[in-house]
Amino acid sequence: MNETDARAVYQKALKAHRFRERAALAAVHVGLVFYVLLSVYPLLRIFSVSLRPGDRIISTDLSLIPAGASFLSYMKVLHETNFLFWLWNSLIITCATSAIGVSLAAAAAYAFSRFRFPGHKTGLTLLLGNEMIPAAMLLLPLFLMIMKLGLINTYLGMIIAYSVTSLPFSIWILKGYYDTIPKSLEEAALVDGTTRFGAFIRIILPLSTPALAIAFLFNFTQAWNEYLVARVVLTDARMYTWTLGLFELQGQYLTQWGMFAAASILVTIPVLGVFLYSSKWLISGLTLGGVKG
Amino acid sequence: MASVSLRKITKRYKDTEVLHDVSLDIADREFMILVGPSGCGKSTLLRMIAGLEECTEGEIVIDGAIVNHLPPREREIAMVFQDYALYPHMTVEQNMSFGLRLRKLPKSQIDARVKDAANILQIQPLLKRKPSQLSGGQRQRVAIGRAIVRKPKVFLFDEPLSNLDAKLREEMRIEIAKLHQRLQTTIIYVTHDQVEAMTLGSRMAVVNGGRIQQMGPPEEVFCRPANRFVAGFIGSPTMNFVRGAFSDIGEGPRFKDDVMSVDLPPLVDGELRKALLDGKPRPAVLGVRPDDVYVMQTEPKDAALATVEVVELLGHRKNLHLKAGKGKLLATVDASFAGAPGDRVSIAFNPGRLHLFDEATQERIALEARTAPRQGAQPTA
Repeated sequence: MNETDARAVYQKALKAHRFRERAALAAVHVGLVFYVLLSVYPLLRIFSVSLRPGDRIISTDLSLIPAGASFLSYMKVLHETNFLFWLWNSLIITCATSAIGVSLAAAAAYAFSRFRFPGHKTGLTLLLGNEMIPAAMLLLPLFLMIMKLGLINTYLGMIIAYSVTSLPFSIWILKGYYDTIPKSLEEAALVDGTTRFGAFIRIILPLSTPALAIAFLFNFTQAWNEYLVARVVLTDARMYTWTLGLFELQGQYLTQWGMFAAASILVTIPVLGVFLYSSKWLISGLTLGGVKG
Repeated sequence: MASVSLRKITKRYKDTEVLHDVSLDIADREFMILVGPSGCGKSTLLRMIAGLEECTEGEIVIDGAIVNHLPPREREIAMVFQDYALYPHMTVEQNMSFGLRLRKLPKSQIDARVKDAANILQIQPLLKRKPSQLSGGQRQRVAIGRAIVRKPKVFLFDEPLSNLDAKLREEMRIEIAKLHQRLQTTIIYVTHDQVEAMTLGSRMAVVNGGRIQQMGPPEEVFCRPANRFVAGFIGSPTMNFVRGAFSDIGEGPRFKDDVMSVDLPPLVDGELRKALLDGKPRPAVLGVRPDDVYVMQTEPKDAALATVEVVELLGHRKNLHLKAGKGKLLATVDASFAGAPGDRVSIAFNPGRLHLFDEATQERIALEARTAPRQGAQPTA
């Protein structure tokens, strides 16, 4: 084979290789677009229902903005129901749960990551095992404990219940992250003049913001969307969280689907805000450069 | 500036004892090197001085005060870690001033100290950068700077240069030596690199198996190793060891193995000299540094013979790997030496630099110092 022939064969092979690469990339993108549509479609349908006049959930109209679209359902849900109360209750319980849950988990995870004590391994295994028990099974003991503490129909009862149920997952996430932070950074801080607690606050926590943000988001979404425990602990309508409140809109013979959809859209706003705000903390590589890699 | 004393230090992890009854006195302003192979306990010793590890037994004394019970922050020490341990979320300036800010020093004083240290280490342009934006050498400078600004009583260095490349290591070695001359502070420096041990310290302690094997100025450790481990560990290329036996029936001690017979300088120990008069050979190990093996391409009748196996050119020197009888020898010769693998050569040893070790105890058998050669190695009769 002379040089011209060899070059022609090479060019042909190169062309085929590039075509295969592009085809594979296109296939991946088609798959991703399909997945996005699948995820976004229910949300768009709910948005569409919330704008629809009357309380129709079923319609042959597939357009996103239906004919005669209005914000009437939004106005009604805000003015004719206790929606703002429910939202307020949810916000208080969720924010307190997230703050307390993350604080407890951050400290507990540090102990599990840095110290070896009797029960270290058993403790971690039990925490993991606790995650595997279905929430429904915990319902009765949780209710009994909260009742005996006299915390039925209180924010504190809900906050305790939510904080402790999210704790195992948060501890595991944070412990795993702490394990990746070199111990020499803390030791340097100890030699520089701080205490163990000071090293935790000044060195470990600032370096763990991605894991703390994940734990916070997990606690937040868990508490925000929770229904089962709230149904058992909260019986006073004034104390309802939005998940309970939403079911007030569901009647025996008639469900106000427009208001239901409008409320569903409104409750996503705080979560969306928290996610967008937290995203700036979800950056990796914070510990880069501190020690020899 | 302060003296440091370790008194009968023992460290145990559950059932494993890693340091056995270690005692060490480091004078004020001294540059003490702790050198030894990986896992010998030298870093553990340093971490105990820092307060990062507790002693199982024994006392640590800094500047006359027992500090066993004090946390690291109260020991007035500064430490440079092997992996730099810079705080990644802080700038160079914040890293350096961290300890001073914790001590609530006035800002003007903090700025002045950071500026001084940055000038000494030539890192002024890096002050606003984060550690991730620095090279390995720059990070190590910052780590040293963070220690300097504190003006501690004692500096602890834990293998600070082991992560740097060869050229940078050489530069930083000189920097550290200059720094000690300038600051005149007590330094305890842990390394497994014998070049650092030989060049930096005013004294070195060779550690192995959790025990100090020998302590003294680098020249003394190099020229008069206390035992076979020290002889083999200090010096590069490593010392040759020839197993055999020695005897002395009044004509001067003589060492023999299967291929050679070597006249030794007189023994220092008079008791041993008397005991040897029984004519019974004592098992021993002869130590010869590669630089002290003379290799000749001629074959004098009275010289021991060896075969060249491998020749390694190092630039201005050559390493010759020789086979002499059942044993192997390494000789370092001038690069102009023309021998090639397979050549038969005759060898002789510099008699003034021979080392003899007891086969059983591995301890040094002291020989009188001698400069004029009496005789080299000869073939065994």
